[in-house]
Amino acid sequence: MKLSNLIYASSYFVAILFFTSCNNDDDFSGDTDTMTDTEVEFSGTYAQVDHMGRPGINTVLSADDETKDSQNTTLPTDMAANFASSFEARLEAYHDVYATLLGADPDDVNYETNILGFDAPTLTGYLAADVLDIAPNLPTTYFNPGTDADGDGRILVPDGDEVGLTGRTLQDDVIDVSLILLFGGEEGDRFSGQDTDGDGESDLPRLTSDGVALTASISDSFPYLSSPE
Amino acid sequence: MKKTKIYLGLAFMAIIGVVLVAADHIDAPSTAGTTADIADFYAFEPTEGSDNTVLIVDLQSNVDPSLAYGSFDEDILLEINVDLDGDLVEDTVIQAIPRNGKMYFFGPVVPTQTGLTSEVLVDSPLGSIEISESSAIVETTDDGVKLFAGPRQDAFYFDFNQFNLVIGGNAPEGFKDVDEAVDTFDGSNTMAIAIEIPNIMLGTPTAKNALGLDVYKAWITTNRKQ
Repeated sequence: MKLSNLIYASSYFVAILFFTSCNNDDDFSGDTDTMTDTEVEFSGTYAQVDHMGRPGINTVLSADDETKDSQNTTLPTDMAANFASSFEARLEAYHDVYATLLGADPDDVNYETNILGFDAPTLTGYLAADVLDIAPNLPTTYFNPGTDADGDGRILVPDGDEVGLTGRTLQDDVIDVSLILLFGGEEGDRFSGQDTDGDGESDLPRLTSDGVALTASISDSFPYLSSPE
Repeated sequence: MKKTKIYLGLAFMAIIGVVLVAADHIDAPSTAGTTADIADFYAFEPTEGSDNTVLIVDLQSNVDPSLAYGSFDEDILLEINVDLDGDLVEDTVIQAIPRNGKMYFFGPVVPTQTGLTSEVLVDSPLGSIEISESSAIVETTDDGVKLFAGPRQDAFYFDFNQFNLVIGGNAPEGFKDVDEAVDTFDGSNTMAIAIEIPNIMLGTPTAKNALGLDVYKAWITTNRKQ
């Protein structure tokens, strides 16, 4: 903790010195154009090292370090072909872990079609193309489990009344959404800590929510994120 | 056969489970903890019905004190790629790169090249903003684009430590309930770049999402000077 604070403080000290010198340059020269675009050097070639579309995709579904590195330098056009099958294998491996813990045969506990109606190949193919969908003319929600505009009793099975996958707000619980899509089955609550025998204890693991909510403070004006802590 | 599958699965999870990863924070060995590490990407309407879109990219994180955090790297070019027609090739690009305490923005513009290498689109300047310290400095361009760059609270939230137990096969009960779960990222900060831009500058999408709605398909890359 102290080390963290020390590094943090040091970085600001350097930053302050830097900004000060920059401002001094302006003052001494008396020319506010000393740092304009025309005098700044931007030449050179830049090679891609990291990629991100949706949160958590590379983290959760890439099977190993080599795949994680490869995903970061793969074009979106090639991602489904390169990663969908290994993502699907990893999705099944997650289910095998809980099959074992539950004392069941791993062959009997598999991914189940989710609230989007996606089977495993469809879901992993969709997620493998790691881009964020952003609707310019609709309310933003990464997904909003619990929305049921037509009151048909389904949590969010697409039947024409949903707005979702339209971007990502700072408040959106993207981890819970991801967990629901991966482990929730077609009703979104397949593994949610159910007490199946009524003895007051959970008999199924809780995999559809990590239990935490937003802790950072959010501003209602640009840039929306609050000052560092 | 079945036992082999079980043991392989568990060993596999145990190895992977110790790697510190979340959202895109620290997601891969070659970028983890570097100044190029993308932590998060947000995109949203600032208010319902707005004709603008807010794009926020978080680089770096101090969730672990050993990670790079605290200043933008002049060798790292950030790109926001936007595909309009759904072919997953960028049709317009916004770039950001720091120089001498300022963040310079370029685009949105049709990129001169697509693929894994880029050059700064110097012929399409968008604007620049002094990199903030703890209080936010915000600039609005003549086109109505708001710009920001500087340290901010990390809004990502995740009980990451329990996640590691879950995928490691060490949490039979799964995740904790609301009363016991802990946000690993509570109190951490990130280096944020924020843009609020009129949709008309990005173009009109014809791409569809999984629910059939018209969407931009967007992704972030960081690119290191060669």
